[in-house]
Formats: sequence, structure tokens, C-alpha cells
Amino acid sequence: MAQAQVPVTVLTGYLGAGKTTLLNRILSEQHGKKYAVIVNEFGELGVDNDLVVNADEEVFEMNNGCICCTVRGDLIRIIEGLMKRKDKFDGILVETTGLADPGPVAQTFFTDDDVKARTRLDAIVTVVDAKHFLGQLGQGSEAEEQVAFADVILLNKTDLVSPEELAKVEGKITAINPYARIHKTQKSQIELAAILDKGAFDLNRILEFEPDFLEHGHDHNHEEEVKSLSITSDRSVDPEKFQKWMGALLQLRGADIFRSKGILAIDGAPRRYVYQGVHMMMDSDWGSPWNANDKRASKLVFIGRNLDGDNLKRGFEDCLK
Amino acid sequence: MKIDLSNPAWRQTLPPARSIAADAPVAATAFSRDGTSVAFALGDGSVRILPADIAAPAAGAADPVHGGAVLAVVADPAGDGFVSGGDDGRLLRLAADGTATEFFHQKGKWIDHLAAHKATGAIAASAGKSAFVVKDGEVREFGPHQSTVADLDFSKDGGRLACAHYGGVTVWSIGQVTLPPRRFAWRGSHVALRWSTDGKFIATGTQENDIHVWRMAQATDMRMQGYPAKVKSLSWTADARFLYTSSQPVFTAWSFSGKGPEGKPPLQFGEEGAGLLSVVAAHPTAEFVAGGYDSGELQLGDIKTKRSVALKMADGSAITCLAWSPDGFRLAAGNERGDLLVVDLRR
Repeated sequence: MAQAQVPVTVLTGYLGAGKTTLLNRILSEQHGKKYAVIVNEFGELGVDNDLVVNADEEVFEMNNGCICCTVRGDLIRIIEGLMKRKDKFDGILVETTGLADPGPVAQTFFTDDDVKARTRLDAIVTVVDAKHFLGQLGQGSEAEEQVAFADVILLNKTDLVSPEELAKVEGKITAINPYARIHKTQKSQIELAAILDKGAFDLNRILEFEPDFLEHGHDHNHEEEVKSLSITSDRSVDPEKFQKWMGALLQLRGADIFRSKGILAIDGAPRRYVYQGVHMMMDSDWGSPWNANDKRASKLVFIGRNLDGDNLKRGFEDCLK
Repeated sequence: MKIDLSNPAWRQTLPPARSIAADAPVAATAFSRDGTSVAFALGDGSVRILPADIAAPAAGAADPVHGGAVLAVVADPAGDGFVSGGDDGRLLRLAADGTATEFFHQKGKWIDHLAAHKATGAIAASAGKSAFVVKDGEVREFGPHQSTVADLDFSKDGGRLACAHYGGVTVWSIGQVTLPPRRFAWRGSHVALRWSTDGKFIATGTQENDIHVWRMAQATDMRMQGYPAKVKSLSWTADARFLYTSSQPVFTAWSFSGKGPEGKPPLQFGEEGAGLLSVVAAHPTAEFVAGGYDSGELQLGDIKTKRSVALKMADGSAITCLAWSPDGFRLAAGNERGDLLVVDLRR
């Protein structure tokens, strides 16, 4: 049963941002790889391909008392069904509708044991329409949340805006989520290597994915409702206090915390403790060992809505030795 | 002739069996109504039909009849062939020689669950949020439900159809008189469903690793918790006294005689197998039960003597489906890797 886990890329983006164009490119390009694509029923793919599966986004609330534990049951069913095929895939792409909250898709990969055994969430890729993004921000929370959740952002349609407008859009994206890698594109033209197989949810690659992860914080964006926050310390962490604090925090504020990740220097531990989560769901493990020359430091990152930086900082400081 | 697990032969050697490597995941298996042949639904789009007699010559690999994977197969209630559904959205009738004719086609949907009712000859198929019932050459749609139909089953008399979905179960009256559907609500996603063989209970397995059972007469319900994984396989005994469930390392049966199972532990028996049971199938007439494990082990259990014997050793490929021949002397099993197994239990 030790089959390799198939990487799953979640493709989000507001209506008309260029998701379908990107999918068509992936399906029609000669890359020698086989991707199953799960599209929402409203999407219109130009490619007729038996690896395209139509899905109705069927979100349900887990019956476990946690209101933000929403999951895409249709994905669980489709992934199970795809595994019954003789032909195997190099990857699976899941396209969400333009107005979808990426939370339930991501949480599906934390929740279901069968899905976890067979697939791994690779990255959330968000396509942003350079011309319309700023306008979309005022029309609801979706455009903002899609950027907040992203690991990779395609800042698309750059040919339709002036350099000044583009800089403004990019600044806004960075203010919401400075940790996502931004690629500027036209007509969704991008090297597949830039969006596939990124390992953004791989605990062992948290450092690799963000080379400056431990370098500097990004706390300058106080005016945003959705923003990121980082906390660092070079004192060691008391694991019990941290578990208790984080557990309570996610229980209370999980609905507003979209993504979180961290690397901790646990008191007396020879290895880094790494974790990452979506809303209230979290994965954690021991990472690479601290070498003699390493500076033992901890860093936590939160991306979410209405984050109270001072409160979070105080809470974390209470967990330090 | 009877199956007797106290016969020392069961502990010394594995029973005679035919095993064929089909090289495509097996989604489902079923014996034909007359018990002479057994079909396996394969991930390459073909349905492999083998003689039930393990010594009889078997035909080679079959041509694909579905595009993509075959997701479900049941005995044709109106003949000696089979009915299959696939991720190409087609429902096919297969003659005993494998010749296929199409019942209907739901473009863009998967036909992933089938049920057949022997006495009425009706076939039920899930396709997206609806269930379709084919009877006397007529196709009727029941639905759409609030979410995709995750499983379905006929009532004992074939007059009703139960569909599992988010938020519970919907029971449709499928006779000539159209009655409004009945809803049995319980929050969450219900992923497996079996109607008890006496028609009195409907059991479901849920996303939250528990099982839920409704009493039809009183519309009251009960929940049984404590499984380490989703219960995707449920099987009622022929006399409806016990409900077998997967996702435990030993055979696990909830007793429905007397006051029912609520507040009592289930009956657990047999040798602990490797891994967890992935499929269970109660014997069609007697007190036996077959269980396939996610490790590939296959066991036969006897609830009377609380014994179990191995029919196949673990090999790392999860058992995905089981079926009993109508006479209960042969057992078919398929696994993720594509091995087709027919065991002859007469010894």
C-alpha cells in the first residue's frame, strides 16, 4: 500500500482572472505528464479530455462541533474514484469557482484519512486579474481571501495596466500576503514548474519554500483587515505552554486565521519543530536538526482577518522559557 | 453439505481458489443470479466475467465496455448476466458472455453505486445528486438531493429506495403510487448505506468515523462511535439479527435482537487480522461472515463458534470488494492491485 502520494494543486482566483486559460494550457501543452483536472460545473474548458472531472462544490460542516471545519465531500469522493482507474496521474489540479473560499478545499486534505493516504496538498495557486483586482476587493471578501490563502500568485493580465497600476496591485497583494511567490504573467503564460510540485504544505520544505522565512518580519501593514503577521524570538519555547496557547487560539480565532505556520526552537530539543495549518486544522512534526552553528530561533507566521498583533505576541512570549 | 470451521483442514491449508492478475484496480464484484458466473468491475473499463467453478476454463482479459473505470457491478435481477456503471456515466446490461447494451447515459456524471432487487427486477443507480431506477424498461429519476448520492439500497420488498447524502438519508417510494419522500436527518456526510434485510432499519457510515442507524417504524435513531476510520462497508446478516461493520481489526457485529445495540458494546470475535477490515460481507443464508482487510488478508468468521480462519494471507494490497455466491459456497474478492480471487469453500 506504499503508493506515492499524488500532488494536488488548488487553483483559485476571482471570476475572469484567467484560471480556465491556465488549465487549458496545462492540458494542451506537451509536457509528457498526466494531470487529472477537477473543474467546477460552471467552468468551460476548451479541451475535451477524459481526465477532466466535473464537480459541484459540495461543502459540508464536519459533525464535530467545530463550525469552521468545512470540507469538500465531492473531492473526497472524486479522489477515491480517480484512484480506481488503472491509469495513474502525475498530479491533480482542482479549480475552484471564482467566488469560492479556499478554506474547505485545503481542509479536505487535513481531514480525510483516505485522501491523506493517497494525495498530498501541494500548493494553493491564485490567479489575480491585475486590471480588476483592486475593484474586486470592495465587492466581498473572496478576492482578498484567495490572495491570503495563496502560496503562489499569478499576477495576470499585466499587459492591461500601466506600470504604476501594476505596482499598486502588487503592493496590495504583498500587504495582504507577503509570503506568496508572485509571478507576473500575460494570458496566464507560465512555466509549469513555477506552479506545480512546490511542496508548500510539506513540513520539511517550509524553509526551502521561503528562503527569507527566518530573516525579517513584515509587520508594516497595520491598515489591512486581512494581513499577515510574524513573531520571532531567540528564546526557547516551552512545548506544553505552546500547545495549550495554540490550541486555545485556534479554537477561539480559527475562523479568522486562514493560514499559519512556524518553526520552533523547543527547549532542549535537538531538532526544529515545524507546523502549518489552515483555520483550526494543523499538521506538525520534527524537522531538520539544529547544527552547532545554527542560531536557535523561533518564528511564527499568521495570515488572517483582524489579527491582534500585540495580543498574539504577548501570548507567544508567555510560552517562552 | 455445510461449512464447518472446526474442521482442522481450515487451519492447515488455505482453501482451493482461483486467482487471476488483472492489472487494474477492482472496484466491485458480484455473482450472477444463477450463481454460475462472477463479474469483476475493473479500473481499465472492462468487466471480467469468470465461471464460478474454479476448475472450469476461464476466458482471457475482456475488452473495455466503459470509458475510464468501471465503478460498480451487480447481478442482473432479470437474467443471468450483470449490470455495470462507470465513470463515463453509462449504465450497461451485460449478457453472460459479456455483450453490452446501454440502459442510459448521464453525461458528465459518474455512476458509482448500484443496487438490484431480485423479486421486482428493479435496478437503482446513483448519478450525481439523483438516483435512477430502471424497472420494466422504464427509467425514473429520484432527486436531486442536496448533495451527491453517496450510496443507495432497496427496501426488503423493493417498494422503496434509500439514498445517503449530506445531512442524512432520503427514502423514496418507488411504486406506482407516488408518495412524498421521507427524510431521516443527521448532520454530516453519510458515505455508506445498507437497509436491513428485514426492512426495519437503515444503517449508514459517516465521515466522522461512526455509524448511524434509524428505526423505520418509530423514525428514531442511534449512533455507534469508536471506530478508528470511516466505516465504508456495512453488511446485515440474512436474519437481520446482526449488522457487521468494517474498520476494526476483528469481526464486529452490532446485535439488533431484543432492545437493539444502543449502550452496549458490539460483539467482536475471530483472530485479529493484519490491519483493519476494509470490506465485510455476511453470508447469504448462514451465520458466517467474510472480511477483507486493508492489508490484503481475507478471513471467514463464524459468529456461532466465535472462530475465524484465513482464506488468504496479507500481501499489501487492500481488499476492495467481496461477494458471496447465492448458495454461499463460493466467495469472490478483488483488491487494489487487480487480483481477482474466487474461493471454493466446500471442504
